[in-house]
Amino acid sequence: MKLYWFSEMPHHVFDEGEDLKYPAMRLEMPNTYFDRDVAATNYHHYFDEHVLADEVGFDGLMINEHHSTPSCSDVSIMMSAAILARQTKRAKIALMGNILPIQDNPVMVAEQIAMADLISGGRIISGFVRGIGVETWWANANPVHNRERFEECHDLIIKCWTEPGPFRWEGKHYHFRHVNPWCLPLQKPHPPIWVPGTASPDTALWAGRKGYTYVPFLVPIPIACELFEFYRQGAAEAGREVTPDKLGFLLCAVAADSTEKALEAGRFFEWRMGPTTRGPTEYFAPPGMRSRAGQRMALRTRPPNMLTMSYEEKVANDLIVAGEPEYLVERFEHFREELGIGHLLLQGHESKMSHATTMRSIELIGKKVIPALAEA
Amino acid sequence: MPVQPREEMVSVGGVRAHTLIGGSGEPLLVLHGAGGPNGWRRWHAALAERFTVYVPSHPGYGLSDSADWMESPRDLARYYLWYLDVLGLDRATIVGHSMGGWTAAELAVMNPKAVDRLVLVAPAGLKPERGEILDIFYYPLDQLTKLVYHEPAQVQEWDELFGTPPTPEQQDLAIRNREMSARLTWKPYMHNPRLPFFLPRVTNQTLVVWGSEDRIVPVICGEQYARLLPNATLKVFEGCGHSPMLEKLDELVALLRDFLHPSEAARPVEARS
Repeated sequence: MKLYWFSEMPHHVFDEGEDLKYPAMRLEMPNTYFDRDVAATNYHHYFDEHVLADEVGFDGLMINEHHSTPSCSDVSIMMSAAILARQTKRAKIALMGNILPIQDNPVMVAEQIAMADLISGGRIISGFVRGIGVETWWANANPVHNRERFEECHDLIIKCWTEPGPFRWEGKHYHFRHVNPWCLPLQKPHPPIWVPGTASPDTALWAGRKGYTYVPFLVPIPIACELFEFYRQGAAEAGREVTPDKLGFLLCAVAADSTEKALEAGRFFEWRMGPTTRGPTEYFAPPGMRSRAGQRMALRTRPPNMLTMSYEEKVANDLIVAGEPEYLVERFEHFREELGIGHLLLQGHESKMSHATTMRSIELIGKKVIPALAEA
Repeated sequence: MPVQPREEMVSVGGVRAHTLIGGSGEPLLVLHGAGGPNGWRRWHAALAERFTVYVPSHPGYGLSDSADWMESPRDLARYYLWYLDVLGLDRATIVGHSMGGWTAAELAVMNPKAVDRLVLVAPAGLKPERGEILDIFYYPLDQLTKLVYHEPAQVQEWDELFGTPPTPEQQDLAIRNREMSARLTWKPYMHNPRLPFFLPRVTNQTLVVWGSEDRIVPVICGEQYARLLPNATLKVFEGCGHSPMLEKLDELVALLRDFLHPSEAARPVEARS
């Protein structure tokens, strides 16, 4: 099982409760709270953490992109990919992912991923996502077209990578009279494609049909199992075998020199299990963005009890894994057995967790967790 | 005893519009807003005393067929021109509310001869010269209801409309209605930048009605419509929100009775330069 490092690069610089003055932290909290100096420093901390994760032996580095939110200051996954492509040496760079439905130029996305793949020596994993509703508002993309645009954007990107140009593309949402990208990925025919999921059975089915690696994010194990069932159903329809390499899972984890210190650091993960996702349903799922099945699933994947659960309960339920390295090894083994996954993605930093705590956690995972998992 | 409607599925190019039809006389077509159809209301029944009133649910709304290929109220307008053909109606008086008012304006621009008199009740469609059209998709439905009505106590049909919590089926329909509205009006939001250039073509007698306290579409849009349409009169009800036909039921019915003289309605529209 491969391990990946992930930080959402949060910009949590305001006092507790400030966000509660607004209907939601995303979209509504004014950017007058944005601290330019802190952000300038934080970017360097965040990239240093990724570089250390590469050095200590993580198999991959995950990055993502959000907009209009203090929960994620990575506003360009391609810019981060470019930095990591040059600054890291061996780990895969997992883009999780480009938000396809809000893209107006899929050809440029194909070119930029190819460029990052070339610079990194073929280390790119190209994740594609539909985005949460917030990004749809940000980009003012019609949510009723979200799935159609996701699939058409994907199809055009793949065609850019797999079929010689020049060609013409007259689709429903994308129209290009001349497609001939002079930048193709190093990996042939193209980088591996991953698809994260939080709720949509349609996405799980689609990923299964395509044979892409499917990674549920921060959902309880039973929901992950259910989503994997949809994935398997899609794979079966296309006559594809599902190997562990096709299944991943993302959770929050931190290691420290003592259980006490780890549990203290782990509290920062609570930020993303409530405050950062608080707000009207419309912000996260504008009209038509989710299918009816997706809407029903969404109601269950973020169980209301996650909001009311105590920190101890979140730890007991493995929503947060915080402890000494040995504890992490034990829990990660548990996930491997329960889910049959080949990739475990660790969100290792959140909220106001200090840079020093984060660096120590990366170091400990590198020294003790990665070797132990490799032996198991 | 108020006029009761019958139900029909009117098939237009294979897309069926669930339609309530009541009364007798010259045809009058009612086009609902983005919130979706809300049945046969008292103002429909009042109009049905003098007109044959057609109250369709737009494609994608209520019990009508879906039309996922539609992109804007311009498509709806073309649909309703065809709908009139299917019903064998050379022309009809058109009454449109909100997004339905925008649709009525687009329809009139496309073929003024298909329109007898035109009534636009708080129509969307124009970018306000000041202020903004409220982003209805940003608000949960219960909050939106509060924003639509200025004074719920003056809505005579409040209990019929909102007295009981919606059933799961009604909730599903409300979600479907909202999706279709997003499909039709997302961007540019609730307006057509090109509509102002064509409105002067519509020389039909037009009544534009607004509520002074409209929090959805600013009343300034009424002034813009009245300025751009050569034969339009703007009537603003004081102390009224976005739905005058519910909040000012009696006043609106009286206003429409004055404006829609059936005997005169039959006379040909004079061409104007």
